[in-house]
Amino acid sequence: MTLRPLPSNSCRSAGCTLTGALSVTTHVRDAITVVHGPQGCTHHNFSLLHATNLDNDRIVIPPLVSTGLSETDVIFGGEGALDRTLDSVIARNPSAVFVLSTCITDTIGDDVAMVCGIHNEVPVIVVPTAGFLGGPFQTGVNNALVALAGMAMPVKGNGRVNIIGEKNLEYEVEENFEEVSRLLDLLGLEVNVRFVHDLTVSQIATLGAARLNILRDPTLIPVGEYLRDRFGTPFIPAYPTGISGTVAFLETVGKICGIDYRNAVEDERAFRQETLDDFADIAGAGISFSLRSPDPEGTKVARDIAQALRLDISSTGCPVPVPVTAPVGISGVRRLLHRWRRSIHA
Amino acid sequence: MKQIALYGKGGIGKSTTSANLSAALSFAGHDILQIGCDPKRDSTRMLMHGKLIPTVMDLVRERGAAAVTPADVVYTGFNGIRCVEAGGPEPGVGCAGRGIIATFQMLEKFGTLSGDVIVYDVLGDVVCGGFAMPMREGYAQEVYLVTSGELMSLYAANNICKAIERLSARPKSRCRLAGVICNAKNLPKEEELVAEFAHRVNSHLIQYIPRDRVVQLAEINRKTVIEYDPSSNQAQKYRDLAARIMENTSFTVPTPLGIDDLEALAIEFM
Repeated sequence: MTLRPLPSNSCRSAGCTLTGALSVTTHVRDAITVVHGPQGCTHHNFSLLHATNLDNDRIVIPPLVSTGLSETDVIFGGEGALDRTLDSVIARNPSAVFVLSTCITDTIGDDVAMVCGIHNEVPVIVVPTAGFLGGPFQTGVNNALVALAGMAMPVKGNGRVNIIGEKNLEYEVEENFEEVSRLLDLLGLEVNVRFVHDLTVSQIATLGAARLNILRDPTLIPVGEYLRDRFGTPFIPAYPTGISGTVAFLETVGKICGIDYRNAVEDERAFRQETLDDFADIAGAGISFSLRSPDPEGTKVARDIAQALRLDISSTGCPVPVPVTAPVGISGVRRLLHRWRRSIHA
Repeated sequence: MKQIALYGKGGIGKSTTSANLSAALSFAGHDILQIGCDPKRDSTRMLMHGKLIPTVMDLVRERGAAAVTPADVVYTGFNGIRCVEAGGPEPGVGCAGRGIIATFQMLEKFGTLSGDVIVYDVLGDVVCGGFAMPMREGYAQEVYLVTSGELMSLYAANNICKAIERLSARPKSRCRLAGVICNAKNLPKEEELVAEFAHRVNSHLIQYIPRDRVVQLAEINRKTVIEYDPSSNQAQKYRDLAARIMENTSFTVPTPLGIDDLEALAIEFM
């Protein structure tokens, strides 16, 4: 039995388990996601995913199908509706089908796993996502990642690195990935699988080949642990953030992979200094932080950047935005400083 | 229009009592509608001479709700008594409580809920909101508990008191406990025990119905006792119950007992 989180416990990122799982499963290009519930659960998520994709210049229609549950299905059980939907979806020849449950189907006790088990033409993967059980958005992300990872078998290593749990709905998801790729490149490492970001079912099979998993942020640690237990892959719990994150990141990755990181770190320090030099024109300016974003990590990073440029933080300073989530790497810091400069020079 | 609901533990004799009550009321000249609100669907069987009528939920499942008409769900049984069975999903799937809610909405839409007296025969326990539907605003305002003197039966009746207490606290709610019917197992001091239970939950024993073989004989002959042996003592008990229910004005908010008090009460009358 789980308790509904009280409003005082919820924060802006709490959200719905179903939406979290959909942000993962709809990024598998050749699979179809079935949402077992009333059509509204699919519709509003479809709209959100579609709009967010457009924001990230990704013009795709989320491959989503609803079982369109009605009151009659609720009374007599929705297993028949799921079975019929799976028949029609499998007829479209997807590489896999992901089946996500909703509040009502878990309330009436539909045996989703049993229905999925009788369809073996293609892999039919169940992801538990009933939101009323208390799991927020991130639980849905983690449940989906673990369910999808279950499709991969242990394979021979290829020396590459996986990116785990990218925030597919975040603004700058590509820029953040590029920054991590840049750092890995400094160490001579290649990316194996972006798990899960715009990939195919066959790519999932190589998940276990990587020598290291890099998690987007520490909320994914349960997923990192699952992958470590399943494939023996070590993990780093977060992308590098802020002005000093990248150097520490290079050192950690280098140590885990047994790569000499000294040259990479030296190059990175030079790049960091170069970035700060590029913003010498605003050094020493007076700034103040907007208090609208309470994210402590974002605020800490903003303070570090201000200190590095000897910016004077006071209530009378020029208001500059505090990032909603901490900027990733030096590239993230650079984008933030561009925004600060615009504010200061405005 | 009087609307009454009978609640009690499974197997305690709610359907037998309801059917005989409906038969007796009908003989007294009232226009009666009996609605079985249990997925087991056997509430009206004796009134229909052994026939299991199609349930509202069966028809919805087979034809879809849009194709079901008022004439499809109401069956006329013994002495013109109109009979409806709500029905429900197959055991072990879906949501029977939602089935009751959907049935009530359909009957409301059809204008079926009419007559002098509507008797709702509801399943053993108020397991979810759906089975409290007959007690909700607009439906039965008088709830009768059917119980024997056995502890488990009293326990179920006491639980239903909790539901009535809860629902009666809602604004505009007129749902009240109207009385306790003792459908006896012929235990020693049973009538006294059930009367005392009724008193302690702030109600009264409205009728003691002894255990009598004629009930089984009538059932084998697919009839109510009222129809099978109208001159029997048992038939008179049902007629007495019908008369008392029509005259009853004692509708109360119950005061359910704690389990310890309930047990102590049962021991007192051992």
